[in-house]
Amino acid sequence: MNTSGVNFRWSLIWENRVILLKGLGTAIAVSITALIISLVIGLILALARMSTKRAVSMIASSYVNVFRGIPALVSVIWVYFGWSLLFGHNFTVYQAGVIALTLLYSAFFCEIYRAALIAVPKGQREAGLALGMTRLRIFVSVIMPQATKIAIPNIGSMYIGMVKDTSTFAVVGLVEVVRVTQNLNSINFQPFVLYTAAAVLYVLLAFIVDFIFRAIEKNLSSPPSGTLSNVLTKRRRERIQSLIAKKEQ
Amino acid sequence: MKQVRNVNMEGETFTRMMTSGSVEPRDSVLLELNSIHKSFGTKEVLHGVDLVVKKGEHVVIFGPSGSGKSTMLRSINLLEEPDSGSIKVLGTEYGPGVQGEARVKRGKPLELRRYVGMVFQQFNLFPHLSALHNIALPLRATKKIALHDAEERAAAELESVGLLPWAASFPSQLSGGQQQRVAIARALSLDPKVMLFDEPTSALDPELVGEVLAVMRKLAQSGMTMVVVTHEMNFAREIGDRNVFMEDGYVVASGGRDFFDNCTNERAQRFIGSVL
Repeated sequence: MNTSGVNFRWSLIWENRVILLKGLGTAIAVSITALIISLVIGLILALARMSTKRAVSMIASSYVNVFRGIPALVSVIWVYFGWSLLFGHNFTVYQAGVIALTLLYSAFFCEIYRAALIAVPKGQREAGLALGMTRLRIFVSVIMPQATKIAIPNIGSMYIGMVKDTSTFAVVGLVEVVRVTQNLNSINFQPFVLYTAAAVLYVLLAFIVDFIFRAIEKNLSSPPSGTLSNVLTKRRRERIQSLIAKKEQ
Repeated sequence: MKQVRNVNMEGETFTRMMTSGSVEPRDSVLLELNSIHKSFGTKEVLHGVDLVVKKGEHVVIFGPSGSGKSTMLRSINLLEEPDSGSIKVLGTEYGPGVQGEARVKRGKPLELRRYVGMVFQQFNLFPHLSALHNIALPLRATKKIALHDAEERAAAELESVGLLPWAASFPSQLSGGQQQRVAIARALSLDPKVMLFDEPTSALDPELVGEVLAVMRKLAQSGMTMVVVTHEMNFAREIGDRNVFMEDGYVVASGGRDFFDNCTNERAQRFIGSVL
């Protein structure tokens, strides 16, 4: 008990740890599903936007400019309530959240991929062509690995943004961190304590996401470094060493 | 990783075998450029260039910057698509065709590129792959062979350019000269009928030029057909069976082994005098 008569009940956090973490789990599930789908759509949009066919590139760039500007709150309300009103079909809150995030972040990932694809030197494609590789093979085996390496830090930052945007989905009743916090607060009237807990959860997750994306980035650097790549490329390196040893005999 | 640093390029025997399966006699025409026209925007950089390369021949192309040498070389494997003109390799015609001529059936660029190897000024190794896998990837992609066989072949190719101990190294860990040698090994692994070199030593520090030229020299001695754009006039004089001087998108003069000494064209003479 402090002098102003406000009683901070920090123990509330521990008492409700399971439900709070469950909320975080929901936020992660929605955002990861949306991340995977928007990475795919974003890449397709980026290729469309770089297309030499003007109509195709116009459609992609219009999409990007429209959806980059829409807030997540507006997007989810539009998807959840708007779709139902217009077409009579109801999405679950989980689906609505994934769709809302995907609509927005596909636009961002399009731009991230486009910048990364442009950053791969022209000579890489030319070398592939001169070696008689097909365009598809060059894209998959030469261009994409290099573009992904360039894009990864930005994708990581965007993903942290996606997680935070799930907080607005409380408005349609998705039981994520903020919704859990609101529910707990309506029983306990401890907004400071509970929202601090929510903030800590988001920040903690941001640190973990940063750690994971750094590991991926290290693995994609050339030469690859870090524990992840050590494990992943172990067999390949062993094969090379045995080839060297065999020839040198 | 243990690396043997003192690989002696000169002392080594060159293990490359000539590609089997070719039935043409030595003097037969392997590659023919016919009236190649190419413009960038409104500026025409190649004004109908012709070139004939015989099997086993070493053709050197030289001339001032902007003369169209590289563009001509790059049109041979259609990295630069000519506006008109024809590229004939082993009897098959590629490219858009000579203006006004009856159209014959034309081969696909992909097929053409599998006969033609190319080495770039900037090496263009794949930075995300080890030296070995820089060679193994295109082998697998174009010849549809098993990973294990591709790696074996890649190791053999690296050995022939003296870089086997660096097989696991990434391009960023290699010197420019080593990178270019990997690039040459990569192109050779696909058994090309002709090798194109686009200023292969221009991006190298002076002390690294020698090792790349040594590999090219051995390749020339092995009988590989080569078209080389270069500013290394001493090297050109050494390997050039035929020497072609280009300026402003035209082949201005060309000649055989005595070209550098007995050239009659005044412009070519002046250029040779200025760079030798």
